[in-house]
Amino acid sequence: MGRPKRYDNIDGTGEMAFGLMALGYTFLNYVQAGLPENSMWRHGFASMLLFFAGLLLMFGLILWVPKAIKKRITWPRTGYVAYRVGGKSWWTAMVAIAAVSVVIAAGFGCLMRFDRQHDWMGLLWMGAAALYAAAYAVWIYRTERHHPWKWLVLLFMALGLLAIALIAPADFVGLWRPMLLFVGLTWLGSGGATLYLYIRHTQPPAPEAE
Amino acid sequence: MNEQLRAISELDRVIHEPGRLMIVALLGAVKECDFLYLLHETEMNKGNLSSHLARLEEAGYVEIEKTYRGKVPQTLLRLTRAGRVAFDQYRQGLKAAF
Repeated sequence: MGRPKRYDNIDGTGEMAFGLMALGYTFLNYVQAGLPENSMWRHGFASMLLFFAGLLLMFGLILWVPKAIKKRITWPRTGYVAYRVGGKSWWTAMVAIAAVSVVIAAGFGCLMRFDRQHDWMGLLWMGAAALYAAAYAVWIYRTERHHPWKWLVLLFMALGLLAIALIAPADFVGLWRPMLLFVGLTWLGSGGATLYLYIRHTQPPAPEAE
Repeated sequence: MNEQLRAISELDRVIHEPGRLMIVALLGAVKECDFLYLLHETEMNKGNLSSHLARLEEAGYVEIEKTYRGKVPQTLLRLTRAGRVAFDQYRQGLKAAF
C-alpha cells in the first residue's frame, strides 16, 4: 500500500531534505573552491576532513529540519507515522541506493578525468539532466498526482537545467555547481510551497480528537 | 464447493469488513501510527474508528498504547504479529478466490 509512503511528503519535508542535500554539496564545493590555492584545506587529508565535517553537518541538518517540521506541524495536524525499517523490501532498497550511489560517484570520478581531454561535457550533462527530469516525472506520477502544479515545477526544472547546460562553461565544475545549486533551490522551493499549502488546508483537530 | 468459493467462505470476517480492512491495510504498511493519522486517512468518525479498533484489539490483531507526546495524550496503534499473519492470509485468500 503506497498511501503511508506518500504521507511522508505531505508537508514537503521529503523535497526539502533533497534540496538541503543538493545545496549542502554545492555550498561545500563553493567553500573549497573559494579557499586560497595554497590553503591546506584545499588539498589532501585536510580537504577530506573539511568535506566530511561539512557532510556531517549537512546530514544533521537534513535529519533535524524535517523532523522538527513534522513534530511541530504535521503530527499535531494529520497524525504521526513511524515507517518500517528492515524487512526484505527495505534492505533491497538500501542495497539498490548504495549501488546506484557507488556507480554515480565512480561516474563523476571518470568524468572529472575525461573532462581535461574532451569537450562533449555539455552534451553529457544534458543527458544526465534529462535522465534526472525523467526520474522526477516518475516520482510526481507515482506519489504527487494530487498536486498537478508539480508538473510545472518539473517543466521549470527541465528548462532551467537546459539553460544552464547551454550558458555555463562546458566543463565538469562549470556545469555541476550551478546545476546542483539550481536543483537544490527548486526542490527547497517546491517543498516550501507544499508545506505552505499543507498548513493552509489543514487545521489541528479539536483537543478531544485523541 | 469448489476451491475458489471455499477460499471466499474462509476469509477472515474480522478483517473483511471495509472499515477494518482500511485500518489493517494502513497499519500493515507502517511500523506504528497514532489515532489521528488513521482518522485523517480513513475519514471515519471517531466513534466508528474507535469501535473498529476495539474489535481488532479484541481479535488480537492490533495493539493499542496510550501515551503522551509532550503534554498531549497520544494513542499509538500497531499491528501485532497475529494481525500481520491474518492480513497476509486474508490477501492470499482473496488472490486464491479471484
